[in-house]
Amino acid sequence: MSQQPEKMEEDQLELTLGQPLSDFLMQLEDYHPTIPDAVTGNILRSSGFEPKDPRLLRLISIAAQKFISDIANDALHHCRARTNNSSSSSSKSNKGTKDRRYCLTMEDLTPALAELGITIRKPQYYV
Amino acid sequence: MTTSSIDQQTNVYRKMLSAAICSICLGNGFDTIEKDALATLVELLQCFLSQLSLLSRNYCELAGRSEPLVADILLGFIDMGIDFSSFDDYIKSAKYPHLPPIIVQQPPKQPNMLTTGVKQTLPQYIPSYLPEFPVPHAYIRTPTHRQPIIDYESALTKFLAKTAPSTHKLFDTEDINTFPLIACQPNYPPYLSSLLPQDQIFDPEELEYDAKVETETVEHKKPGERRTEDVKIEKIEEEEQIQDIKTEENHSPNNFIDNPYLAAIKFSNSEEMDIS
Repeated sequence: MSQQPEKMEEDQLELTLGQPLSDFLMQLEDYHPTIPDAVTGNILRSSGFEPKDPRLLRLISIAAQKFISDIANDALHHCRARTNNSSSSSSKSNKGTKDRRYCLTMEDLTPALAELGITIRKPQYYV
Repeated sequence: MTTSSIDQQTNVYRKMLSAAICSICLGNGFDTIEKDALATLVELLQCFLSQLSLLSRNYCELAGRSEPLVADILLGFIDMGIDFSSFDDYIKSAKYPHLPPIIVQQPPKQPNMLTTGVKQTLPQYIPSYLPEFPVPHAYIRTPTHRQPIIDYESALTKFLAKTAPSTHKLFDTEDINTFPLIACQPNYPPYLSSLLPQDQIFDPEELEYDAKVETETVEHKKPGERRTEDVKIEKIEEEEQIQDIKTEENHSPNNFIDNPYLAAIKFSNSEEMDIS
């Protein structure tokens, strides 16, 4: 009996979560994700999923974009940490850290993906 | 659709995906990306999209619908462990350059066929819904090669005028080259040239035409403008030969060629000037 109010609170929370979502969908009308709608639509269609509302397409595009963006962000942190470590250990005179150019390498991508539970192995050979 | 064209299409979509990934990485602060890393991310992105669409479709079909709703996609997000509450902030904060929209390439237009001749109408006993006759050259013989222009004469006369052992001058000037006149040199047996066979006769029709034109021009000329005796003899020879051929080929009177590529040769007046 004592758990009932908690359940009610959860329901309330979900209701309030649902409200911004519809607002969010309205925002998607005039937001263009980096991945073009046509590309997302084609990949979805090849999986048998064909939403007619372009907003749903954009929702999925944004999810994918955020997925890649999070990975890239993680990889950037790894890259910075690695370069800082190497530069501090090798020479302290090099202080041009601000205008250093970053390259996304497999070395940084592998630990970033490992955090998401994706393990990357080097292919045994290239075709 | 062939397999190669399917490959090409997927390649285009993968190229767009890699472009999108590059723009995301640029927006995040990277300057360059390794080829392997880009390929991995493209694979990941494509896998993510297809996995999400599979899950969403399953939820959609579980609910007995064929049209997906937002709820199906959200359930797909939850299944994949994606937190969609942060999307709102994400789209406000992230500003990535837009990719150019995909433009469907128009197939190249087939050039129109050059029409020759008049199309035959269907006979009465063939119903009108049957296809029309094709262009006549498709089933009636059309000459496809052009007769070589045998225009040796003017060149030959020029050459003779320059190299002949004896040339006269038309005017009493020092300059020999302006109006040279070839002196007449009769051959030793005068009938010999008529006995020798002539080469390069490709089509009797063409030769006939040539001869007709030339005889006309010869008639128009004044006797004073006549060329050497040799040329005259040649003319007579040609005519004789043509008459022989004519008697052989008299049964095929259709010598009009309706082909714009094989139009009759136009003789300019300058040619006559050269000869005289």
